[in-house]
Amino acid sequence: MHPQAILTAILVVTLLLQAAVPRMRLVIVNAGAALACLATSLLGLATTGTLLAEVPWDVLVILVGLGLLSEMMAESRLFGLLAVASTRLSRANPRKVLLAFCVGMYAVSGLVNNLTALILVLPILHILLQLMSVDQRYTSWCLGALLVACNLGGAATPIGDFPAILLLGRGSMDFTAYLSLALPTTLVALVILLLLVLYVVRPDRTLGHGEASSRLSVAVMSALYRNTRLDWRVLAPSAVMLAVMLVGWTVLPRESGMTPELICWLGVGTALLLRPSLGEVLMRRRVDVEAALFLLALFVMVGAVRRSGMFKDVAAMLAELPAPPLAQLLVFLVLAGILTGLFSAGPSMAALLDVAESLAQRMDGPAVYVGLALSVCAGSSLFLTAATSGPMAQALTERAELKDHRGQPLAFGFFHFLPVGMVGFSVILLVGIAFALWRVGF
Amino acid sequence: MSALPGGLEQAFRLAAGELGMCTASWLFTAQLGAAGGQAMVAALRDELGRTFPVLDFVATRWLRGEAPLAPVSERVVERCRGVEQLLVVGLETSFLDPLLPLLGGVRVSILTESPLKVDWRRVVANLGHDVRPVGLADFQVLAGRRSALLTFLYGRHGRTTHVMPAWLRVMGADVRTQFRTIVGWDVLGAPMYVYPRWLFEIPSDDFTDLL
Repeated sequence: MHPQAILTAILVVTLLLQAAVPRMRLVIVNAGAALACLATSLLGLATTGTLLAEVPWDVLVILVGLGLLSEMMAESRLFGLLAVASTRLSRANPRKVLLAFCVGMYAVSGLVNNLTALILVLPILHILLQLMSVDQRYTSWCLGALLVACNLGGAATPIGDFPAILLLGRGSMDFTAYLSLALPTTLVALVILLLLVLYVVRPDRTLGHGEASSRLSVAVMSALYRNTRLDWRVLAPSAVMLAVMLVGWTVLPRESGMTPELICWLGVGTALLLRPSLGEVLMRRRVDVEAALFLLALFVMVGAVRRSGMFKDVAAMLAELPAPPLAQLLVFLVLAGILTGLFSAGPSMAALLDVAESLAQRMDGPAVYVGLALSVCAGSSLFLTAATSGPMAQALTERAELKDHRGQPLAFGFFHFLPVGMVGFSVILLVGIAFALWRVGF
Repeated sequence: MSALPGGLEQAFRLAAGELGMCTASWLFTAQLGAAGGQAMVAALRDELGRTFPVLDFVATRWLRGEAPLAPVSERVVERCRGVEQLLVVGLETSFLDPLLPLLGGVRVSILTESPLKVDWRRVVANLGHDVRPVGLADFQVLAGRRSALLTFLYGRHGRTTHVMPAWLRVMGADVRTQFRTIVGWDVLGAPMYVYPRWLFEIPSDDFTDLL
């Protein structure tokens, strides 16, 4: 059997298995990685040491570092207070609640780990949904749009989510270039999505909302969080160091040796040192080991496939397609979106970046990279299972035991999310394609 | 019938769980009264009063133009003089919030038991003042010569009063001797009008101090 077929089969079967049995995700991908190392060694393609040396540790450093900074901000109660402020701002009007929370989560997800933010914001939104007495349709669209907004926020900045961090870490694009292109593009996608949801779908149309409901919801929320105060002693060091890191990423060239991961490491390390007791607790207990181990295993498997020459061959096949380069790019972006929907953002981005690099040599680099980031974002929004935040939102919503005004339980599962996912996927992918077309001067 | 917002029962359960039956009742009547006047409060009482007797009591009082009882925190502080540990059983935030800052060096704990769904982390965080959560399995470590128990009473009628069910799980013949002071704090000031669902009737003389 051809080495390419063996290593690709290990990768694909592992990804399918982890998607089918998400509860065993870590065990499955780590077994797959070990198997990939064994196969690569036996086939004489590379040793395990070589594969491990090729792991983009810089990306893992940025992911872990930003995760810790998010946890520090969470300790300051910032996210909870933002959610309560959104409630007051929206006056518990269902339409405004959807808008305020989506815009808020988009903004937050661009700067910090959206999982941490979601864990803190969702319970507050659940309370609000209980107080507003919403129905199943509103629950599905509100929570679904929130998840898509989180994905868009993550793609808006180079530090928002894994795909963009990978582009930054690999030096495919620098911080400013990515930000200046991805931020407005994702913002356009968010505006279109919200317009569609609020004015076409109108999930609030079946809900009654009056002054009494509004007054009551805001009063109860204010009473529940009456003594919650922002802890400036925790927020100040984390916010200041995040600002310093943003400046560093923007103005310091990679050639100076101040690479993105080093800036992150120094910045997060300083923030934690400024609150040493809390920093120690966060480092010991709050590092996202699950994400780090998952990505490590993934990088090893993708590295093994890369060693087999598979990605070069795929890139060559794409280049040989009897179509102009622009059509090749469009095929690539659509495939990236679908693959991400099936396998999630980490695997598809790690695997497709090699192909993207090959495409970027023949056409406008930012069109390929930002287009890819948006396609991956679209794919992450397609199914509830495509991004980690989906199953987490599902579990938190189940735990909240929401009910409608007739006392019927409200749920948020795969099929509740699917219509939102289809709309989100289509909007983001089309905006990504439009962006790529605009960049290549179509 | 005025147009009450839908799903009020779910909202009231949430508020009553994390604020207390009496506190949530005054909050609901005040807000609905401000939005829809007497008609809306009367509708609230008709819809939820039988299920939540404290709400029925409060709505009736509100309709008569009466105000909530003013918390007599100073009298609780007086009864707790010399006490080092205070275990609170039950929750009424409009009474606890003004009391806690007056307790000075007293270590305050709250029993994390409720017939309603409660996020105790949020409740404790919003009580502030270093209040510690304690479960049924652990509360007896707080017993001692300088320890007190405090619970909220929902109206007194002759020699009996009504309490939340958690009190029954704490209060027994053995426990009575383990705490120096056992304070019952009446948050209604008069007996309820309908069957006291959620609550249990107990003798008033279970308490060393009734306020």
